[in-house]
Amino acid sequence: MSSSNGRMRLIGAIFIIAGLAIIFQIVRVQNSPQAKELISFLEKTYNQEVRVLKPERGNIYDRWGNLLAGNTEVYEIGIAPPQVINSDTVAQDLSSILGLDFSEIKKIARSYVEEGNERYMVVADFVSADKVQLLEKKLAEYETAEKPKKGATPSLNGVHWVAHLRRSYPENALAANILGFYNYYDRVDGRGILGLEEQYNNLLAGTDTQVVLPMNPTEIQEIPSVPPGSSLILTIDRGIQAAMERIAQKALEDSGAEAATILVMDPETGEMLAMATTPAFNPNEYQKYGDVFPLGSHYDRAISQLYEPGSVFKVLTMAAALDSGAVTPTTPFVDTGAIEVGGLWIYNWDRGAWGPQDMTGCLQHSLNVCLAWIATEMGPTTFYTYIQNFGLGKYTGIDLAGEQVYPLSLPGDQNWYPVNLGTNSFGQGVAATPIQMITATAAVANDGKMMAPHVVKAYIQDGHQYDISPRLVRQVITPETAHTLTEMLANSLENEASVALVEGYRVSGKTGTAEIPGPRGYESSVTNASFVGWGPTDDPKFIVYIWLEKPTSSPWGSVVAAPVFSEVVRELTVLMKLPPDSVRQQLAQQ
Amino acid sequence: MFDQRIVQAYRQAPWRVQLQWIGALLLVLVVGMLIAGVYLYLTAEATAAGTHIRELELEREDLQIRIADQSTQLAFLRSAAFMQGRAEALGYKNARQEDIVYIPVPGYSGRQVVFLAPPPGNESADASIIKPAYKESLWEWLYQGTFDLIESRGIQP
Repeated sequence: MSSSNGRMRLIGAIFIIAGLAIIFQIVRVQNSPQAKELISFLEKTYNQEVRVLKPERGNIYDRWGNLLAGNTEVYEIGIAPPQVINSDTVAQDLSSILGLDFSEIKKIARSYVEEGNERYMVVADFVSADKVQLLEKKLAEYETAEKPKKGATPSLNGVHWVAHLRRSYPENALAANILGFYNYYDRVDGRGILGLEEQYNNLLAGTDTQVVLPMNPTEIQEIPSVPPGSSLILTIDRGIQAAMERIAQKALEDSGAEAATILVMDPETGEMLAMATTPAFNPNEYQKYGDVFPLGSHYDRAISQLYEPGSVFKVLTMAAALDSGAVTPTTPFVDTGAIEVGGLWIYNWDRGAWGPQDMTGCLQHSLNVCLAWIATEMGPTTFYTYIQNFGLGKYTGIDLAGEQVYPLSLPGDQNWYPVNLGTNSFGQGVAATPIQMITATAAVANDGKMMAPHVVKAYIQDGHQYDISPRLVRQVITPETAHTLTEMLANSLENEASVALVEGYRVSGKTGTAEIPGPRGYESSVTNASFVGWGPTDDPKFIVYIWLEKPTSSPWGSVVAAPVFSEVVRELTVLMKLPPDSVRQQLAQQ
Repeated sequence: MFDQRIVQAYRQAPWRVQLQWIGALLLVLVVGMLIAGVYLYLTAEATAAGTHIRELELEREDLQIRIADQSTQLAFLRSAAFMQGRAEALGYKNARQEDIVYIPVPGYSGRQVVFLAPPPGNESADASIIKPAYKESLWEWLYQGTFDLIESRGIQP
């Protein structure tokens, strides 16, 4: 009996020791460095997922809330080869619905069976929701279909579609020169290019957030809500923009010009209401950029193409002369048809002599000789101080990517000659962009105050809307000078019975025709035709700048650009709900 | 006398000690199974909740994409060119200067620039929406509970 007990105890002890040894070994293996390394590797590989959450790119709206740039749903289609049940169905449906190559898809679908490929393969991206709906329909059909008696069951198993957003421009080509575009095909390094998309890329894009998500569902990890990128509300009025683009296109066809630019600004605030340029470009198809804009051409001529503006520049020269006291509106000038400045002779546009004139007459007949004389009366120091104050030779700072500027040649510079004083006075030998010209001239329409041009009125960030206040650049001329010049320019149009006039509305403005410099001097056969004008004269609500590049129907701004101004004003008065002067004054008296 | 003998015999019975051991072991086993059952139940609940939360998060992402898409699709349908075409098809034409009659409206200051910021929401929206209880293991819950109990009674651990 005692020996039996002894054996039982021995066996019990062996089992206990064996059990303890197993437990010890389990603990030892679990805590060995190799085990820790393995656990760490497995956790990183299979137990968690590192995701970069990209915020939705901010929207762009016009001033009334019309969406100009948003995001649309598209899909990435991929195949997980190990999950494929029927490679024929997969290849057949993807080729017929998405237009993919049948044999290529079949090869991918069978790659697990044939090569052991377990890798998920993306076969198409940016697929529209309509096409994915067709795939979903097929999927539903296969799920409810009866099993065939012969052959494999039709199945889309292994085909996956994942939704993501793609930049989209609902107005297509409208305001494309302002918006720029987003190269959405690059899903990793996509960014805004040109215009607002580039200028405000960081603001629109928002901030990426990286999160580590455990795959174990018991370890609940909240996915943070990533705020979308900031949205922009523009100063642009969609209705005015559409009208200006329509008029620009018509002007292009009527005049035979190579390009047309029409800018509309509120002179009081510097807000751009419209910026129309040609050619039209649809940012939804940004990959065609090279076709629309061959090498050397400009995406937005309004801010990036420099040109010699010609006689519209006379507004600035006359503003400087009146403000400095060099002349008054009644200062007499006898035009002999030529004037010598810096040893070279300057002539009028028609090479004629216009006899006795006052300053209004000089503007009305656009006399180069008179303006050159005025510049010499002021002297280079005064003239160029004013021209610099008007912002020539400097960036306007408009909030659009791609603004260009050409430095102003000043006395003392190597490329400045005394004759420049004369030629610059009527806008030759000086280069500017349309945005520089309208910004400078807007000072005359706004009591001498030059406002910074801008296209963003407000932005929305983290649920708050922040307004951007108009910025005064400087007081260039006195309010009295501005009023006097505005009146002179209105009179000159009326005296001339210009085609720029609009019935019921008094407007001020100036035509411009500029010769174009070429490799062998100025080319007399081609010109740049311009017009700058604003209204209503007694309380300006808009200023318009028109530039037709190399018109063929007529070289003169007064013939091709002035009627465009008239048409623009007729549209603006309706779209901006501006009553005729008589009605407005009557209403003001009530 | 007879009763005393039975009690004495019962007390001295060798299987009595064994029964006590078996009873104790069974008690431990039952308690262990109860704890394991509770643990399994809670783990299953947490897994179901975790999976549901993941589904809801995916649905939220999907809805955000759809909302953005629908806004853009609506904008396509309300684009200037599209609306112009629709208006013309319905027989409307663009207003001209001579078509317009201006009437003074006292107090009307003209069309105001749009305000698009969303209305003020719940300030706590940014805070975590998953309560800590959903992330705790049973062990953490017990440990934290014990710690809180000790702390509330002012006992130094």
